[in-house]
Amino acid sequence: MFSYVKSLEYPVKIKNTNPALAKFIISQYGGPDGEMSASLRYLSQRYSMPTPQLRGLLTDIGVEELGHFELVAAIIHQLTRDMTPEEVKKAGFETYFVDHTAGIYPQFASGTPWTAATIGVKGDTITDLTEDMGAEQKARTTYDNILRLSDDPDVNNVIKFLREREVVHFQRFGEALGKTLEMLDQKNVYYMNPSFDK
Amino acid sequence: METMKPDMMPQGCDAKFGVLPACAPLATSWVPPQGMNPPMYAPEEALTRGTLFPGLDLPFMNMVNKSNPYAGTPLGELMALTFMAKELQLYLDTHPDDQDAFKALKDTLALKREGAKRYVKLYGPLRLEDMEDSASYDWLRGPWPWEYCERMGK
Repeated sequence: MFSYVKSLEYPVKIKNTNPALAKFIISQYGGPDGEMSASLRYLSQRYSMPTPQLRGLLTDIGVEELGHFELVAAIIHQLTRDMTPEEVKKAGFETYFVDHTAGIYPQFASGTPWTAATIGVKGDTITDLTEDMGAEQKARTTYDNILRLSDDPDVNNVIKFLREREVVHFQRFGEALGKTLEMLDQKNVYYMNPSFDK
Repeated sequence: METMKPDMMPQGCDAKFGVLPACAPLATSWVPPQGMNPPMYAPEEALTRGTLFPGLDLPFMNMVNKSNPYAGTPLGELMALTFMAKELQLYLDTHPDDQDAFKALKDTLALKREGAKRYVKLYGPLRLEDMEDSASYDWLRGPWPWEYCERMGK
């Protein structure tokens, strides 16, 4: 089960309304490498993992990602909650505004709604962990790109935190993959699928 | 930067590096595991930088947070301890035999419990369980976490 803690993982305190930033930061909410995909990927992959350690790591990182999903929403909310129709037009935010007003909707920066096609659950230990490492790198690159585009220090303070978490998660998935490989036949680690062949 | 712990690191490797096996199967990905008992930041600096571990602190174009908006506040302190516990949990998931890290986790959890108690008394419950001693249903008291911003209370 899950229960809510009434606190963000990292403080979000944004002074200035700026829908122009929300326009692309929304991609880390419901975009191809966003936090919704991250949490659902790990929390869905964990069931077929062959060891308690892997089930634990995927659960613990998946839960942290749910917290990041909330952090990105908090950024978008504070950037848009007080926007005026004039600010919407000036920022070119009409295409989002017309459908969602100041609500938070999981979508790509390009407007495509969040889709499960952005995540992989292959049911193969090596494959899934390798996907997870790639996913962390893709999210890191996205945060790098957000840092290139955003000039708001209040926003960037949170983005730098989120970006660094991708680095740490990559490391942990890599360590978990290493331990998995060590368990397998060293002459042919692909002899079978440890998530399926018991 | 913290001093490295030479007894834990192989010669020539500091906390930014790890050791790979001498032989490893082809056609696989290997990430150097983080050494045991790695150097750590203090809780508030860890939260601000996004990691407890200087060895894993790899910022983009040297963009580094100097502080966070709640640094030095009761909530900031609690968030820092919560973050430190989370980071230690992920570390222990892949280093379950590191007794020093486990001790650090237990110490952090004890501090966090004390900090949470003080915070809840002042500002209301963080979790359902925190209402055990409440006089009324104060779950709805105060802003929700995402509402905080400079314009609060205007």
